Amino acid sequence: MVFTIQSKNKAVGMTLAHRKARRRDTARSYAMLAPNLILFLLISVYPVIWALQYMFYRYDGMSAKKFIGLGNFVRVFTRDPQFWQAVLNTFKYAGLKIVFMLPLAFVTALLINNTKRRYAAIQAVIFSPTIMSSAVMALVFYLLFNVYSGEINKLLINIGWIVKPINWLGREMAMTTVLIVAIWGGLGNYMVYFLAGLQQISPEMYESADLDGASALTKMFRITIPLLGPVLKVILMLSLINAFQDMTSIMVLTGGGPFNSTNVMYLYIYNQYYPSSEASSFLPQYGYGAAVSVVAAAIVGVITIAYIQISKKLDDVY
Amino acid sequence: MNKDRMMRGVGAALKWVFLLTLIAFTLYPVIYALLGSLKSNYELTLGGHLFPEVWKFENYMDAFTRGRFGLYTFNSLMVAGLVSLLSLVTSSMAGYVFARRQFRGKGFIMSLYMAFMFISLGSVTIYPLFVLFSRMKLTKTIIAMALVMTGGQASNVFLVTGFIKSVPKELDEAAFIDGCTPFQVFIIMILPMIRSILAVVLLFSFRSAWNDYITPLIMTIGNAKLRTLTVAVVQLKYSSNAAAEWQIMLAGASIALIPVLILYIFTHKQFISGLLSGAVKA
Repeated sequence: MVFTIQSKNKAVGMTLAHRKARRRDTARSYAMLAPNLILFLLISVYPVIWALQYMFYRYDGMSAKKFIGLGNFVRVFTRDPQFWQAVLNTFKYAGLKIVFMLPLAFVTALLINNTKRRYAAIQAVIFSPTIMSSAVMALVFYLLFNVYSGEINKLLINIGWIVKPINWLGREMAMTTVLIVAIWGGLGNYMVYFLAGLQQISPEMYESADLDGASALTKMFRITIPLLGPVLKVILMLSLINAFQDMTSIMVLTGGGPFNSTNVMYLYIYNQYYPSSEASSFLPQYGYGAAVSVVAAAIVGVITIAYIQISKKLDDVY
Repeated sequence: MNKDRMMRGVGAALKWVFLLTLIAFTLYPVIYALLGSLKSNYELTLGGHLFPEVWKFENYMDAFTRGRFGLYTFNSLMVAGLVSLLSLVTSSMAGYVFARRQFRGKGFIMSLYMAFMFISLGSVTIYPLFVLFSRMKLTKTIIAMALVMTGGQASNVFLVTGFIKSVPKELDEAAFIDGCTPFQVFIIMILPMIRSILAVVLLFSFRSAWNDYITPLIMTIGNAKLRTLTVAVVQLKYSSNAAAEWQIMLAGASIALIPVLILYIFTHKQFISGLLSGAVKA
């Protein structure tokens, strides 16, 4: 009798000590995670919670905030053609950027991916725009594309391709100019992704294809592209998400103008919060801007999910 | 046979035309900025020449004195330095915890980090932080800006996590059994092994802080003294005599570009390999 009680107590003691040790272990993990976790909760999570609350308010930072329920969302969906113009511009921008940039990046990667030589220097040069400030470089491009004093027009006139200077930042051409700058900044990044994909394909595949007498085109469509499939999917997703969120260089280059022709979603949101003379409103609209940003994030989310679904479907087909 | 060789010659020629065009397209704006920063405004707007006719080194003197670029360079250095330090310390420890430790809530926290990598509310998020930090009287210093730029570091954390997972467990587990605390294991065993990925984290966070435009733009509203280089350079575009000051704009742009370009010349391998190890995880 005495013995059993003792052993029972001992067992309880064991689990208690064990539990205590485990709790201490967990505490130690959290202590090491804490500096990062606190920054993450403060800088990444808190503003989102703030926005999810303020999207139900009218608030300009001066007068008291006023709860208006879904009023902001009603406004986005029924009374804000400018935002939907920006959404349309974003789709146009993202679509064209991807359509031109990715094939260019792919071809560049193919040419550099020489089995004998790696062309490290060329790779480093083409990747280099990635490390430069897009705002500063957008300013440089702004000078280059200047109508009368810019070097681009001077060059084109000198070699005789054009007679009259092109208004690169005018209504007709602004989107093209924005795209040229975007491709300049993004190409190297995606070229490196493609190179990574290409280098995962074993050279033996090509060697045996050579033995079979396959042509370069056959090798491309039968080996390179199919084997690049999974990498291509990731690249497409990354480029899609990134292109939808681009705004810095557009902001410096055109400010979204002229006449909103290059205004994109996230730039529109910026202008709700920090209105400049180029924006339509002069008082910041923190509540409305929060609602718009949630709609924009939802649009990007829906596109991403749709893209993942479609690429899964395509997997089943192949 | 002869035709075959000719075809290959044409192919090689096309390849080099393509690559050289691309290289010219990539480098031209940078060279324009660097060389243009040494021209007079008159020569710049006249255009037509790549190299300056008269080398005007005093543009830089102008930028530093009249344009206060000394102060902005200092600000940029301080912010980028602080962000790098914070990123290095916090993301290396978090990466270790995610890679090696088992604890309650880990899965949830990791998926939260993952989710926030892809969700973006844009510049909305900086406003509540600005309000919060100004209540804490931190917006008068560069600390607030640096904290906002450091942020959650999700991508750097996962970079470190992935790297530590690829290092064999046995060594640090043995140290753990010998009675070391997790922190001691991290300092003694892990840190020396992950130096190469920490160099990547350092480069990435320095670059992104040095180049960031939107965050410092918003965080220095009403406080021009704290502006970083990027903000100061772009603001020249909106100044009243912008048309007469192209040379100062380009000198400012060059001051912002040259440090990262020099850094890149020595570290381009780390930049590219770092990008890849991040991409493989994604």
